[in-house]
Amino acid sequence: MTILYLLPTLLQGLKITLIITFLAMLLAFVLAFLAGFGRLSKFRVVRFLTAFYVEVFRGTSLLVQLFWIYFALPLIGISLPPLAAGVLTLGLNYGAYGSEVVRSAILAVPKGQTEAGIALNFSPWRRLRHIILPQAFVMMLPGFGNLQIELLKGTSLVSLITLADLTYQATILNASTMETTMIYSLLLVIYFLIAWPLTRGIRWVENRLSVGRY
Amino acid sequence: MSTPLKLVKNLSDEENNYQDISKKKQKQPMVCYDKISKSYGDLQVLKKIDFDIAPGEKVALIGPSGSGKTTLARLLMTLEEPTSGTIKVDGELLWHQKIKGKKVKANEKHLQKIRGKIGMVFQHFNLFPHMTILDNVAAAPIHVAGIPRAEAEEQAISILEKVGLSDKFNAYPSQLSGGQKQRVAIARALVMRPQIMLFDEPTSALDPELVGEVLGVIKDIAQEGEMAMLLITHEMDFAKDVADRVAFFDEGRIVEEGKPEELFYNPRSTRLQDLLSRFRGR
Ligand SMILES: Nc1ncnc2c1ncn2[C@@H]1O[C@H](COP(=O)(O)OP(=O)(O)OP(=O)(O)O)[C@@H](O)[C@H]1O
Ligand SMILES: [Mg+2]
Repeated sequence: MTILYLLPTLLQGLKITLIITFLAMLLAFVLAFLAGFGRLSKFRVVRFLTAFYVEVFRGTSLLVQLFWIYFALPLIGISLPPLAAGVLTLGLNYGAYGSEVVRSAILAVPKGQTEAGIALNFSPWRRLRHIILPQAFVMMLPGFGNLQIELLKGTSLVSLITLADLTYQATILNASTMETTMIYSLLLVIYFLIAWPLTRGIRWVENRLSVGRY
Repeated sequence: MSTPLKLVKNLSDEENNYQDISKKKQKQPMVCYDKISKSYGDLQVLKKIDFDIAPGEKVALIGPSGSGKTTLARLLMTLEEPTSGTIKVDGELLWHQKIKGKKVKANEKHLQKIRGKIGMVFQHFNLFPHMTILDNVAAAPIHVAGIPRAEAEEQAISILEKVGLSDKFNAYPSQLSGGQKQRVAIARALVMRPQIMLFDEPTSALDPELVGEVLGVIKDIAQEGEMAMLLITHEMDFAKDVADRVAFFDEGRIVEEGKPEELFYNPRSTRLQDLLSRFRGR
């Protein structure tokens, strides 16, 4: 009975969690590629700037970044609504981690592949597009898979900047009903149920893309 | 007026006069290395090499390990930049271009223009593992030459048939033997119709029983004629069969060159004598 009472509120929170996860993932994905390529750029300035971004966001805690963007930025005149602040922080943070995945996967493609591309007179862009990226992308998937799950779990922190996500709703329900065991068990199950298809999805893509290769 | 042509005929055997003739655009060399040096840090791998390859000529490059054979080929394939000297391909500078009369470093566009005349087969095949055999061969026609896919695949098929792989179109490289992989790699380079093809020890990564099939394919291509070839190899019998000329490389220099018979039966330098006796001894 209590479940029926608790669920609707939790599902409301789930919706916010899913929205944040999805948007932050998109942002992180784009940033991961931009910064990943940036670190391999032939221009020193670009390499330096991207390395700076990556190291700052990897070297400080997600919570502090979130608070900084939500509470400190307004003091210098940039205030963001909670959702934007949450998505931005998560995107920047996991984009930084993701860029390492992108960078190391690209570097892991054997040099002979680039050389074969040059010997066949592929332009640098086509080499990247048709030879390097398809091979590197498969190698990125396990890393991206882990980060996806990390990001999902990281979204629970946005409850601390007043976003009514899953964790936030659970905390509120707990305060009003005291059904602590039930609520947090449900919370575990729901997070797991989101994470599981994400993991399977990545596996599926991985299997599809590595057909015939090994 | 047939005199100039005759002149070429008479002189083309003599290395010294070769340069002068090439300037008159009479059968200029396909490739012309001019005082090419290459260093890695303190290590000078190539030492002021002058070396020409005529159109359609098959040249075998032999020499001990570490003597710089691969480096010589890689400079031509634009995989490595010379430290000094120039390379001309079909009369045009490879690593340099003239802008307003000034010789400057070649840009990517210039490199692409010249590179299209050159093909290379690698010791370790370097096939694209994520593409089927057919796609490996059709990729460059599609993405580099811009030929429609259907037409590119047709070309790929006919070349794969030529190298004896008509039943493997949809296989992936990982499913092939080493000999089959190398034949795909040859087809892949051949489909772009280079004017000169570089083979860097195409059989030395193969199990002994697979060497023959690959050498056979290369021999067939050589017999067709028009394409020049630079063959880096330790297979002396093969070199003797296929090459018009053999160059012996040692410590970054060409120590001896000449017709295969001369070089193999009458080696002048002791280093070459050593090398040959080691191979005979096997
Ligand atoms: N990228 C590099 N950096 C430093 N040294 C290099 C590099 N490439 C080649 N060398 C060195 O240059 C020398 C010539 O190498 P190269 O591969 O051209 O020899 P090779 O005649 O092809 O030998 P092998 O018969 O073993 O293939 C070697 O001493 C090698 O160690
Ligand atoms: Mg070599």
